[in-house]
Amino acid sequence: MGYYPHFPVSTQRLRLRQFTRGDVDAVFDYRGRADVALYLFDSALSRDECAQAVQQRIVHTNWAEEGDKIVLAVELSDSSRVIGEMSLIWRDVDARQAEIGWIFHPEYQGRGYATEAARAVINLGFYGGDIHRIFARCDARNSPSWRLMERLGMRREAHFREHARFKGGWDEEFIYAVLQREWQGENQP
Amino acid sequence: MSGLNFPITTNRLVLRPFERSDVPLVARYHTLPSVQRYLARPTRYAEDVAGAVEVMRNQIGLQRPGDVLTLAMQRKGDQAVLGHVSLKWSDATAGQGELLFCIDPAHAGNGFLTESLTAMLNLSFDHFRIHRIFVRCDGRNHHSAKLMQKLGMRLEAHYREHALFQGEWDEELHFAILDREWQASSKVRPLPLRERVA
Ligand SMILES: CC(C)(COP(=O)(O)OP(=O)(O)OC[C@H]1O[C@@H](n2cnc3c(N)ncnc32)[C@H](O)[C@@H]1OP(=O)(O)O)[C@@H](O)C(=O)NCCC(=O)NCCS
Repeated sequence: MGYYPHFPVSTQRLRLRQFTRGDVDAVFDYRGRADVALYLFDSALSRDECAQAVQQRIVHTNWAEEGDKIVLAVELSDSSRVIGEMSLIWRDVDARQAEIGWIFHPEYQGRGYATEAARAVINLGFYGGDIHRIFARCDARNSPSWRLMERLGMRREAHFREHARFKGGWDEEFIYAVLQREWQGENQP
Repeated sequence: MSGLNFPITTNRLVLRPFERSDVPLVARYHTLPSVQRYLARPTRYAEDVAGAVEVMRNQIGLQRPGDVLTLAMQRKGDQAVLGHVSLKWSDATAGQGELLFCIDPAHAGNGFLTESLTAMLNLSFDHFRIHRIFVRCDGRNHHSAKLMQKLGMRLEAHYREHALFQGEWDEELHFAILDREWQASSKVRPLPLRERVA
């Protein structure tokens, strides 16, 4: 049981690989920014916090039990520059559910890199990890994130209003999902 | 949260805490297969019913998050116990509550749940000062979905195959309403069916 994928995973323009200790500055470059953190659970991270985060990510490369995360650095194939990160969390072992997440450096947004990386990670989940349903959540105001979910062909399954508190205000949240049998066509590996 | 007086009366019903003597009345419907989904714990056998009633009998107030208030729906006149309605205080910081209910299928379709849930919504917002009430129901149970819309609740989620329920893929709807959207102590207002969110 469990899922131990092989890395790196290459796409047309990107390489998805394990984090290494040398990635702290690259991570601080985007996780240190307030605009990036706006709709994330954490606020902008200090360099020390980024060092800790990278330390944790180094071992987040497989699923052994429920709740485990696979967190990958996304780098440009050409320059090896780290432009963001992708995550896939094993949420429910019996019902084969996983949650996908993404964070990219603003300087590298708007070019389809997140879409490309997300497709590769969804393929990992469905075909490598034999996941039945992959879902994603975001703040309803985070339009780049939910537009990405729509671009991926995910379906809006929830729109919660004031169901929780978030950073001192009421939270409004979208949940999108796609089933393995719905994931096809141009999205195939 | 105190100062709550029982019973709560509606047009045709009395909502009151369970009593030990309710066991035979509850046994009439509590072991039916179609009812199991609506129970906190399955009670498939007659001998499980006393335990279920014992749990519900102690759910009489909301002291801390996680607590549940459960009231029997008893018909005025013949005193028949038709089912129960529960309010679970699910989250304190965000003022969230969940309504759960179960009705003897023999008495479904007569508006008893509409009556009881209206009273529970009044109680949730007026007495307990809950900010948002939500209800989860089986995506294939169109009666529940219609009932929620009749109460003015909004469909906020429609999950497909997000979980397994008794070995099969589950489909689940979430309905919700905010305190400011519920007219205090109102009668049930006829509302147009809302668009599905998903
Ligand atoms: C969410 C996030 C990853 C989306 O990034 P993004 O750059 O908008 O997404 P993509 O890389 O897929 O790029 C899509 C955009 O590039 C354009 N694009 C250009 N070339 C493209 C290509 N080859 N393929 C797809 N899109 C392309 C698209 O038209 C789209 O532009 P638009 O937004 O103007 O419509 C990013 O905004 C982010 O990291 N935000 C901060 C962290 C965060 O909030 N994470 C999510 C928490 S839930």
